[in-house]
Formats: sequence, structure tokens, C-alpha cells
Amino acid sequence: MSTSIDGCYLCDVTANENLAFDALSDRVRRQIMSVLGEGGELTVTEIAERVDVVGRSTVSSHLRILRTSGVVNERRDGRLRHYSIDTEGSVRDAFRYLQGLLQAGVRLDADSEETADPPGQLHDVG
Amino acid sequence: MTGSTILAAESVVELPSYEVYGSFGRPDSGSWMFDARCGVLAVGSAVRLTLPVATGGHGRPGVEMLGRISALRPNEMICIEHVQPWRGRLRLSFDRVDPARTRVRVRASVPADGVEWLVRHVGGALPVRPARSDVIRIGLVTSKSGPAAIYSMATEYLAGLAVDEVNDDRGIDGHLLELLVADDATEAATAAHEAVRLVRSGCRAIFACTTSSSFAAISRAVRGTGVLLVHSVMNERSSADGENVVRFGEQPADQIAALAGPIMRATGGRNWFLVGERYSWSYGAHHAARATLPRTAGRVVGESYAPLGTADFTPVIERIQRSGADIVMSSLIGADEVDFQRQFAASGLRSTVGSLSLVMDEPTTAHVGADAAEGIWTALGYLEDGPVAGNSALVARYRERYGRWAPPISTLSETVYEAILQYAQAVRHDPDADATRQRLALLTHRSGRSGTEIGARDLVAPRLYLAEVRGGGLRIFDEDG
Repeated sequence: MSTSIDGCYLCDVTANENLAFDALSDRVRRQIMSVLGEGGELTVTEIAERVDVVGRSTVSSHLRILRTSGVVNERRDGRLRHYSIDTEGSVRDAFRYLQGLLQAGVRLDADSEETADPPGQLHDVG
Repeated sequence: MTGSTILAAESVVELPSYEVYGSFGRPDSGSWMFDARCGVLAVGSAVRLTLPVATGGHGRPGVEMLGRISALRPNEMICIEHVQPWRGRLRLSFDRVDPARTRVRVRASVPADGVEWLVRHVGGALPVRPARSDVIRIGLVTSKSGPAAIYSMATEYLAGLAVDEVNDDRGIDGHLLELLVADDATEAATAAHEAVRLVRSGCRAIFACTTSSSFAAISRAVRGTGVLLVHSVMNERSSADGENVVRFGEQPADQIAALAGPIMRATGGRNWFLVGERYSWSYGAHHAARATLPRTAGRVVGESYAPLGTADFTPVIERIQRSGADIVMSSLIGADEVDFQRQFAASGLRSTVGSLSLVMDEPTTAHVGADAAEGIWTALGYLEDGPVAGNSALVARYRERYGRWAPPISTLSETVYEAILQYAQAVRHDPDADATRQRLALLTHRSGRSGTEIGARDLVAPRLYLAEVRGGGLRIFDEDG
């Protein structure tokens, strides 16, 4: 769950894999995210026209990964599929990422895989 | 700080609280406590922390959070106000569990622009809202991460201040200026990508406060878009610039010509060693040195080029020792310059070898530290404590707007402030001008109507102030030009 209030985001941080960050490790998928960031909601064809290095079918494959990872929304309108950035998902994942960095920073054994510490907390201040 | 989200984490460590507190900022603390580095654990001290996140082209691991210690309670709490890669607050607290154990807590405030930086850093994107019809968008490409982040600390603030002042002064021909900011991470490829994003977002001019390497990539990326491109930090210039490009700021040839005679007289030496990075800025600076120094009976006895992002300068310092140099000129930038100067001072060479640095601005000086930076010479077009007419009022407005913990204004951030004011003036005068005419207007401003006060100065060939680091600050001892 995630909400946005005046540019201030409040999210639940739950245990989760870094699925979104794995998805965004690919250069083409990052380019697709940039195109969606500038263009709002776009069809596969519109995205493929702006991503100049791969074809339409490859773009569809990358969009499937991005949608599964929760950083892109899909809306069906007849035969057309429209894609847009899942803002809440991206923000939630960014917070989760920073949370992990903070936790690693205060652990004396930063390389340890064991995590006996309580989960981090998230508060909203206005 | 409103509109922020607080993230928190904690851990219990098998050390007494005084030991945990005392280890903060020490080089031997390793990666724990974010690899913190600060010269003195005191309120006001400059501090660097490293977030262990992936980075791209430069060699430094992680992303540095740069700021100052704003509050301390010995053995209990350290509070840091940071400005890079976003403006926020980090609070570390140390609670005694028992005599041998301490609970370490960290709380980080993350404002909306911090969230946006994080999302973009990991490859995501947030939608850019459409530009309103009554707005003129301009873009700022700066380095919020990577080695150049240290000298870019106040850049976004000064650009924002200029935009606000333009808008408070009736805007431009019925339009308000709107600033979009992008982080190049001190990487050329990222700079080009972000510049294209700014152009697609409707920016009509881009002000690049970046390395020359990033600027060249931006210039190629926006060629033919009709967007004005302004390099608004010191640079070595290029004869290959397009008709939409304006270059402002100090030039290394002028800096070296101004300082060579005085520093050779002061040291009594003539043998120079040049320390630089492997990209066009240092290549241009060292070329200028080799052309200039013979005119003052100086000679180059050695030079080195380290990859951008180098943190260990031991081999370079050993070469300097073997060269018999009397004077070392550094064209290193940002975090690389900080590490080189600290290691150079630790080697004991500072007391016997003269030091000239082309980019020893106020933030870099603060991070080198008062003791390690003592005695370094530089020549800059602006200093926060400098005598330029209108500077006191600028500093007062800046502090009023951004507070006491905002980083010092430096020549690298002040130049973009004046560049935006001069751009606004040019567009007001000729609202229909294309990028080529705007470029000519900015250059005409320089040759015909430029003044000597903040906002109206010659930014193409700025008057230089010769300064030396003394007592932790840059002290002007002469002017040139």
C-alpha cells in the first residue's frame, strides 16, 4: 500500500526481494521507464517508436518484466494495451532500497547476511 | 523540513557507547557508519558519508552524502545536515544497553526531491508534469553524486535563487521561469541522457555545471534541438562548440598565468609537477601550463593523469617526491582533489613544495580540512568572502533562504546564478530570439555592457582573485584582470 500527500509519500515497508531493482538493471528497460516518464501513458507501438534500439516484440517482453516487477501499470482498452509508470510502486521500492542501505550502515558486521535486527520504521512528517 | 519522510534503522553492537561515538568519522572505522569521513568531530565540520550503492563510470564505490555536522551530544548523538545527493537530515543516536553494548539508531529524512533522486538512481522514473503555457522551462545539469558532487554542493541552491529572483522581478515577458534539475552522477553518458530528458520536458535552455567530459556529451546530445547550452563552471573552452553553446567561467590558462609568477617568487623554485585527471579539463589545463610556464622561467619536470574517481594517490605522491618539484599544480576536481590534498599534506610535502590548485573553492577547502589545506594557492573569479559589489547582499539572501547549514557559495555555484540572470535579461530584451541569437546576446553582454557587480559581471573572462588557504579559509591577497 502506498499513498501520496503533497509530494510526501507514506509507504509500508515489508520484506520483499529487490525485484524492481533487478528489473531496472537492464539498459533497455531503463530507457522504457524514461520514455514513460516523459510520455505518460503509452501503447507498445508508441513506446517502440521512442526506444530506438529494439523492436516491438522485444519491447513487449521488457514491458512484461516491468509490469511483473510492479514498476509499470497496464491498462487494457479493447485490443490495445496502455502502459504507464506505477509511481507508488517505484517510490515504495526506492524507500525499501534506502531502508536496506541504512540498516547495513548501522550493522557492525556490514557483510553479514544474518539480519537479527528489528525491521526499520517509516514515519511521515509534515 | 516539511514534506519529508523519515526512514529509520537500528542495530545493537558489542561496544560501549563512547567507543561507537568516537569511531565516527575515523578512517580506521571501515565501512561501518557509512564510511564517514570528517576532519574534526565538531559542530560545523564538513562530513562525507558513503551509501554503498552501485555507481557507473567513475571508480569511486558508492554515493557520497555530503554535509555538515549540525548538532552533537558527546557519546549520545550526531546530527548531520546534508545537501548531496539530496537535501536532508541524518541523525545517529547511541543508547547504552549495558556497559559493553550500544543500540545504534539512524533516522534519515527524505524529501520529495530525495525520493525522485532515489527512483532515478536505481533506473526508475517519475512522470514529468506538462509545462504550463505561462512558464519558460530551463534545465540545470549538475553533479549530485560522483566525484564532482563536492564542488557542486550549492549549485542547485544558487540556480533556484536566480529563478526566484527573476520571477519576483516580473518574470520574462509575462512568463515565469521554471527550473528542472538533473544529476549527471559525474558521468558523461548519464549527462547526455539527462540532458535529452530535459529537452523533451520542454526546457529552452540548459545550464550545465558539470565536468568538461559531461559537457561534451551534453553538447553532442542536444545539437540540433534549438536549445541554448551554457557551460556555467570553469572550463578549458573548445573550438568545436556549436552556435548554440556559451562557455562561462575561469579558464586554466588565465589562472596559471595569474599565479605562476607570484608562487615562483614565494617558493623560490621553478620546477613544476602537474597532477590531473584523464579527461579534457586536465589535458587542457596542463597544455596551458606547458605553454605559460616557460614565459616565467618555469619548467615542467613531471606530470600524472589519474582516472576520474581515484582515491589513492600514493603512486602520484611518490613520483612528485622523486621529481624534485618545487611546485605542484593540481587540476583534480571534487572528491579526488580532497583525497589528493589530504594525502599530500600527510606525506609532509606541503611544507617544502608549493601547492597550486585550480579548483580549490570553499566546499573543497572545507572537505580537505583546515590543517591539510593550509598554504594551497588558487585563482578564482568569485569567493564568498570576496569584495565584488553586491556580494554581501547575495550572501545574505542565500543564507536567509537556505539557512546556516547550507554549503558555502563558491565560484562554481555563483557562476550559474549570474548566468541565469543574464539569460533572463537576454530573453526579456529579445523574446523571439533563437538559441544562436541568445548566445550572441550573452556574449554581447560580456563585451559591451558588462559591469563589475554581481549579476552583471563578465563571465567569459572573469576577473580573478588570487587567494591562499590560511586558517581554514581562502584569503585573497591580490587581483588579476
